[in-house]
Amino acid sequence: MLAFILRRVMQSVVVLFVMSLIVFSMINLVGDPVDMLVNPESLPEEIDRVRRDFGLDQPAYVQYWKFLTGALAGDLGNSFIFGRPALALMVERFPATLELATSALIIAITVGLPLGIYAGLRPNGWGTRIIMGGSVLGISVPTFWLGLMMIIVFSVILGWLPVSGRGETAVFLGIESSLFTLDGLKHLILPATNLALFKIAMVIRLTRAGTEEVMAQDYIKFARAKGLSSKRIVRAHLLPNILIPIITVLGIEFGTLIAFATVTESIFAWPGLGKLVIDAIVNLDRPIVVAYLLFVVALFLVLNLVVDIIYAVLDPRVRLQGEGG
Amino acid sequence: MNQLKLLSIQGLRTEFPTPDGPLAAVSGVDLEVTRGDVLGIVGESGSGKTVLGLSIMGLVDRPGRVTAGRIAFGGTEITNYSEAQWQGLRGNRIAMIFQDPTTSLNPVQRIGVQMIEAIQAHRDVSTDAARQIVREAMVRVGINSPDERLEAYPHQFSGGMRQRVVIATALLNEPDLIIADEPTTALDVTVQAQILRDMRRLCRDTGMALIWVSHDLGVVAQIAHRVAVMYAGRIVEQGATEVMLKSPSHPYTAGLMASMPANAPRGQRLVSIPGGLPQLSNLPKGCSFAPRCAHATTACDVLPELSPTSPDHAVRCVSPLQERS
Repeated sequence: MLAFILRRVMQSVVVLFVMSLIVFSMINLVGDPVDMLVNPESLPEEIDRVRRDFGLDQPAYVQYWKFLTGALAGDLGNSFIFGRPALALMVERFPATLELATSALIIAITVGLPLGIYAGLRPNGWGTRIIMGGSVLGISVPTFWLGLMMIIVFSVILGWLPVSGRGETAVFLGIESSLFTLDGLKHLILPATNLALFKIAMVIRLTRAGTEEVMAQDYIKFARAKGLSSKRIVRAHLLPNILIPIITVLGIEFGTLIAFATVTESIFAWPGLGKLVIDAIVNLDRPIVVAYLLFVVALFLVLNLVVDIIYAVLDPRVRLQGEGG
Repeated sequence: MNQLKLLSIQGLRTEFPTPDGPLAAVSGVDLEVTRGDVLGIVGESGSGKTVLGLSIMGLVDRPGRVTAGRIAFGGTEITNYSEAQWQGLRGNRIAMIFQDPTTSLNPVQRIGVQMIEAIQAHRDVSTDAARQIVREAMVRVGINSPDERLEAYPHQFSGGMRQRVVIATALLNEPDLIIADEPTTALDVTVQAQILRDMRRLCRDTGMALIWVSHDLGVVAQIAHRVAVMYAGRIVEQGATEVMLKSPSHPYTAGLMASMPANAPRGQRLVSIPGGLPQLSNLPKGCSFAPRCAHATTACDVLPELSPTSPDHAVRCVSPLQERS
């Protein structure tokens, strides 16, 4: 196990390095950040001064070298706009996104798993047709449109929930989160549900496919021949088998929830990472964009590793490479 | 030994609906099994022998169902049992063993868990007590060091060992009847011989009845007291094993015996029955075997009854073969 993890960490460092090279060269091809930073009517000398101050007058490879040495020391550069370290800005915003993504994931599992199992156990039932129809909608209707509709219906027309923003937060067990206040929860419901909708549909489809496949297996027939109740068969024989593929997919999907919550965060003005990076892209705030992309890559690397480890724990047939036996 | 009829089946018909109308996988089957009896059911794939076994267990996959006939077990009619009543019977009074031991066990649960649950589904015993019963059952089927084995997963066992685990599981609640659906087909010949020997011994020692379903007349001859031959959903010949092997009356049974490698003269091609099993949706009028039968006449256009030729022998044929001298 340890050898496996070590090797994966080494691979991850290589991937991160290559990624930083790609991101850095690509972003140098896009626009001139100085245009965004100075008044268009400034004197040429003033523009040159700003360019020098940010080190943008240097050749790209010198800029990259500076970035790389800084990154190894944990410094991903200062934001052009905020004038503060990019990393610190991200760390500030991360809890809001994590909270949103985690809530969305929990909603997706608690809603999607039971519905998927139900649909898989009764492939021809009316309930199944409704569930599967709903899941087609969930997968095909764009998130941003649904988000806007939810705001119109639940906030504007019905007035039940706040329109946007993150509500009050409270500290509980050393974690600051809006999950611990009523106002925070109210603010969280719409964006989290919006972000979860696509995943709910995905979990339903995955679960249903898995359920149908597993229920046709001989070991389910043998379990029934042993006289087990349906409840026991679902809990002890169906669930552990369908959870293996579902966890694999959801582990990676959790990454996409965090990385691509941008749309939902923009619609609901949720002060998370996604909103930060969208603003940074608009303003050509290069350090933030680079830091964000590297963060996303690192996130996926870690999630992949975690999924592999969970996989090995859940499925006794899987032994991680580098582990004896 | 109590000669009470343990299992009595009359006119059993199991149908599967298809777009072209219902398809009878089992049709007009009458069977009787007394305590301690070993009945062999022989037939090709698709002859309905597996569906017959599943019908007795109430395990026919929907939308298939028993549409006519009666099944009585231990003097009680069980044909219209509710699912809860079936659960009380299955694995408790009637146990079933399936063909492929590599797929009969849940790959992600420990052997011990899968065996203990079979006991606790029917008896209110502690896990420790159940574990003791499991150990004894494992020793009975020839599994050494049961304590170690209980903690293992199915993939850590060989095919033969897995089938022993399945058999031990079937034995746990000391059922009155075991239905074994080709339990040795997936195993190699030496393991097959061991399992046959063990099953014979178990039946003798415990007095339980056994229905051994197989496509292999040779295997059935080694274990069964009586044999029923199935063709296209019907029993075509039934009788004491020695009588039937000595003088098969139905041309199909005779064909099966002639095609057994052990009965073929050395150096000659094996005899095979011309043609293939008819489509259940398109059965010939009268005797289903007539199109493949060398002895068929116009009289075969009417379905013959299963009628006795001697006290322990019945055949469904208008012109049964004469006893060989």
